[in-house]
Amino acid sequence: MATTSQSPQRGTVLLKVEGLTKYFPVRGGIFGRRRGNVRAVDGVDLAVRSGETLGLVGESGCGKSTVGRTILHLYRKTRGRIVFDGRDLDTLGRREMRALRRDMQIIFQDPYESLNARHTVGQILEEPYCIHRIGARSDRNAQVCALLQRVGLPESAASRFPHEFSGGQRQRIGIARALALDPRLIICDEPVSALDVSIQSQILNLLLEQQQVNALTYIFISHDLAVVKHMSDRIAVMYLGKIVEFTDSERLYRQALHPYTHALISAIPVPDPTYKKQRIILSGDVPSPQNPPSGCRFHTRCSYAQDRCRREEPVLRNLSTGTDEHLAACHFAGDLPERAS
Amino acid sequence: MWTRAFNSTNLTKPVFRLDPITARKFSRFRTIRRGFWSFILLTGLIGFALLAELFINNRALLVRYDGSYYLPTYGQNIPGTTFGLDYDYDTNYRELKKQFQEEESDNFVILPMVPYGPFESASKPGMYPPHPPDFSERHFMGTDGIGRDVFARLIYGFRIAILFSLLLLACNYGIGVILGCVMGYWGGTFDLLLQRVIEVWSNVPFLYVVIIISSIVIPNFFMLAVIMVAFGWMSMTWYMRTATYKEREREYVLAARALGASDLRIILGHILPNTISVIVTFIPFSVSGGIVALTSLDYLGFGLPPPTPSWGELIQQGMDDLQHQWIIASVVSAMVVVLTMVTFIGEAIREAFDPKQYTTYQ
Repeated sequence: MATTSQSPQRGTVLLKVEGLTKYFPVRGGIFGRRRGNVRAVDGVDLAVRSGETLGLVGESGCGKSTVGRTILHLYRKTRGRIVFDGRDLDTLGRREMRALRRDMQIIFQDPYESLNARHTVGQILEEPYCIHRIGARSDRNAQVCALLQRVGLPESAASRFPHEFSGGQRQRIGIARALALDPRLIICDEPVSALDVSIQSQILNLLLEQQQVNALTYIFISHDLAVVKHMSDRIAVMYLGKIVEFTDSERLYRQALHPYTHALISAIPVPDPTYKKQRIILSGDVPSPQNPPSGCRFHTRCSYAQDRCRREEPVLRNLSTGTDEHLAACHFAGDLPERAS
Repeated sequence: MWTRAFNSTNLTKPVFRLDPITARKFSRFRTIRRGFWSFILLTGLIGFALLAELFINNRALLVRYDGSYYLPTYGQNIPGTTFGLDYDYDTNYRELKKQFQEEESDNFVILPMVPYGPFESASKPGMYPPHPPDFSERHFMGTDGIGRDVFARLIYGFRIAILFSLLLLACNYGIGVILGCVMGYWGGTFDLLLQRVIEVWSNVPFLYVVIIISSIVIPNFFMLAVIMVAFGWMSMTWYMRTATYKEREREYVLAARALGASDLRIILGHILPNTISVIVTFIPFSVSGGIVALTSLDYLGFGLPPPTPSWGELIQQGMDDLQHQWIIASVVSAMVVVLTMVTFIGEAIREAFDPKQYTTYQ
């Protein structure tokens, strides 16, 4: 289950994202003029508390990976503000930004793509120390061995190449690299989606274990709701570049307010043969993010859609009656029929 | 397959080890025997041409005269007076050898395999050149129209051609790799402008430019190289741009950027090693292209000025004088052999380095 580590500063906001927007230009013509935009991320607000795991779910192409990569400045954002530990990343110079990278790391989906096939595991793992000039050259071996031990790989792995390892082992190498600089925030970009189910749990447990030991904060990106539920304290559901629902993980599964979340939750397989599913099957494809629908972006596939949904874009509003937050972006959230569960 | 050197005391910094992909490519190259043997032969031939003075030269390898030894092959001319002759220009060692043999003294001359230089007209009394091949005279391929040894000119011409195409290769690829990486990695306005420059520039007819320049000045070796580089850098730039563009978006590069790696570190440490196979695959074809280009320019008379030994000039002579077949036969056979070997090497490298076998696309 979700982490219960009680670090002293737990609960303070570590990362704040306001109105994050990322458009990828669609270019054409001989001078490469901008013809249109793919609105991968369109105004996302997030606050990640120190020590928690924030889940980010949505179907493929909804912009969840882009959010993660834009937070790390791997993509240049179009608009918005990213505040990490009270510091606006825009105000940082090159050198400060580089120093800050020690605090924010990423784990990628495909562990073969994310490891340079021409480097040994030792070279891959010592690179962070070389870049930030941590420790003397003579300490590198010890540093690499310590990292390998942390992720449960033998020391002899250092002299091998990534292709000699299985998918799960490679993902451990990717995790070791992310842990190398002792970051405070790790963005896990679908870290188990490329792995066998049996290996998935090992990797998830490794992530949870490291979180407890090192008081890490995770942003956990996945399309697999069962995995996200297992990992996260709070969950944000994304659809077409926008957050449609954002609340505690328990609460989201108990009483989802957005019809899109209903559909997602109904798709989680239940390990009980007598259970009768009431699956909500969404018709049609995700609309093109280059030309998103007017009004509510989900109206083209929503069974409750009405005229208002086509005209007016719903804002993300708090629908909780208690102290905790439950944000949803639906005109009729709360008025919809209860989901049978 | 390759063997892994396992060193338990130093796990991260092996002394020297190829990464497994490269090692596999090399072992694959070795198994393609036609290409591998062509490579060995051509390397030997280049070595032979670079040391041509030791085998084909009108200077002696070793002279013993009055108890002292002389090594005239490299270095200054030794005037004839040194050996008691009545002239003070460069010694004619073939005459000297005959003289020593007639004297039957302790003095001796060791001549190279072919005792003729590439610039020297060796005339025979009572005959007009070209002389047919004559093994007793050691004119293995005869002489050309003004009595110069064809074999000597062939080898020295090959040396110039191969050095020229290697220089061309280094310049073209140096420019191509640097510009291509910059274009592909940073993109933006520079990339856009240079793309258009390349498109326009590659439509300038190269041969006309060379003809115009040659009609104004007689180009020397380096001028010709500069002209050819000016029109030859584009294709490599184009390939490197595309390769860099593709690599840049791969996740291992993103991971390096997330770690805070500098652009230079990413390009040199990550992108270049992964795009190098593009470069290597093109090298043999560039080499043969360079040889052919220089030969055809020389043939047309727009290349290196006479009396530089060159294949193009030999072809021209041979074509003008088809009765004396040994000239054209020698140079055409030489060209066929060299270009075929280069093509075999190129094919083998292309097959061994085939990026489709090792790259995974998403």
